[in-house]
Amino acid sequence: MHYLTDPLQYVFIQRALIAAVIIGVLCAALGTFVVLRRMAVVGHALTHSALPGLVIAYLLGGSLFGGALVATVLTALGIGFLARDESVYEDTLVGMIPNIMFAFGILLISTTKSFRDLFSMLFGNILGVTNGDLHLIMLISAVSLIALFLFYKELKLFTVDPNYAQTIGLPVKVMHYGILLFLSFTVVVGIQAVGTVLTNALLVVPVAAARLLTDRLGRMITLACIFAVLSSIGGIYFSYYFGSASGASIVMFAALIFAIAWVYKFIQKAIRL
Amino acid sequence: MKFPYCQHRHSTPDPQAPALEIKGLGISYSSEEKFALKDFNISVPAGSALALVGPNGAGKSTLFKAVCGLLPVRSGSIRVFGHPLGACHHRVVYLPQRSEIDWHFPISVLDLVVMGRYVYLGWFNKPQKKDIEIARDALKEMNVEDLADRQISKLSGGQQQRVLIARALAQNADLLLLDEPLNAVDVSTRQTVADVLHKIKAQGKTVIVATHYYDQEEGRYDQAIYLKDGKKTSATPGVAELDSTHKDCDCN
Repeated sequence: MHYLTDPLQYVFIQRALIAAVIIGVLCAALGTFVVLRRMAVVGHALTHSALPGLVIAYLLGGSLFGGALVATVLTALGIGFLARDESVYEDTLVGMIPNIMFAFGILLISTTKSFRDLFSMLFGNILGVTNGDLHLIMLISAVSLIALFLFYKELKLFTVDPNYAQTIGLPVKVMHYGILLFLSFTVVVGIQAVGTVLTNALLVVPVAAARLLTDRLGRMITLACIFAVLSSIGGIYFSYYFGSASGASIVMFAALIFAIAWVYKFIQKAIRL
Repeated sequence: MKFPYCQHRHSTPDPQAPALEIKGLGISYSSEEKFALKDFNISVPAGSALALVGPNGAGKSTLFKAVCGLLPVRSGSIRVFGHPLGACHHRVVYLPQRSEIDWHFPISVLDLVVMGRYVYLGWFNKPQKKDIEIARDALKEMNVEDLADRQISKLSGGQQQRVLIARALAQNADLLLLDEPLNAVDVSTRQTVADVLHKIKAQGKTVIVATHYYDQEEGRYDQAIYLKDGKKTSATPGVAELDSTHKDCDCN
């Protein structure tokens, strides 16, 4: 038992655990719609695009959080805007923009010759979450989860049958941009935990595992949240005891849960045959 | 408290006006120069059944989508129950071709049919007992009440069609636009769909069915309109086809 309680005597571990649980729930809940709307690659684009924002904020001594948020929101709206007239395919944009943004971020940081902080930007540093960060994480998560709860019914319809949603008067364009906006909020929060490179995994992997186990939306969101929280907590403990990178440990725990879910599903199918 | 998705869509219909009146309608997709529909006129009296007949690509779905406000109107006008496009929309239901729906989405058949009630619920209100009852009745009408709890990915083509029609029934619309409801479905589904369309018409509702199978359906409709290359043709599709073959021969 003391294996579980020992780390809790450190305030930074307590903060990391609280942050991890909140981030896990937010990523899984929003990630469910990201996966179902086939937007997993957009999530990937947004996570990578946050890097130049982080670097500029770092160089100017501003808030890293704010920098990432501005870069991600601009990218989300930019992709939505450029994809509007279909002169460049949306998947081409999504395949192109994150790499350009990522390169821009690396270029900026390479001019300073200091790669020390680049590591935590790329791979997250949940053990270094401050009180201020935690408050911001709570605020953004609360707003996003409330929005998700309030518009749950409409999101469901918009995802399963967008044409029907439009015919009964739902503002589908606003909803599309709204999802992108909340996705950028979530990405910025996720970066705190697992960094720009790995945040998309937190959005997608627990949801993919949940999708294997149920075909009901409500249950899928609940399971995805549980998986994300378990991975986050598991990852933090693992990194505490083995000195591994926290973000990578969290993602590997999520991957482990996915693997177990996949094997379970495989055996279940085999038995039925 | 009600927060409708779109206030002006709930106007009262004009009892004197035709269910659908289209004058000089022109539609083109933004990426193409060519008109998908050109100078199209039609008047469908309330309570009648109309067959919209034509081959694939004739402009049938385009017409339906324009009436539902899914496509921008380039020229001409569309009036539904005497109101301009956009008003009165809870009274119109468009039944898309089955391929336009994400059948892998993790919800049950009942959930999908209850969506037909959303237009009355608006923002923030959850479906009530009454809405669920209406959805169940609609499933019963289509003889698929036993599928209520089934995941939508586990339906056959005919079952998918029945479930979509059930959702349209749950919306209780007065003008139904059905896009190829009889395409690639089993015999018993064809029969159920035909019976239900007959019943809907008997209730004074207006039905427009897009189809490329008119021969088998003849006699059930009050009028039929033939569409080819986005234009109304007076001839039967067979004759129209023949005409174009002749033209091709001349060119060669």
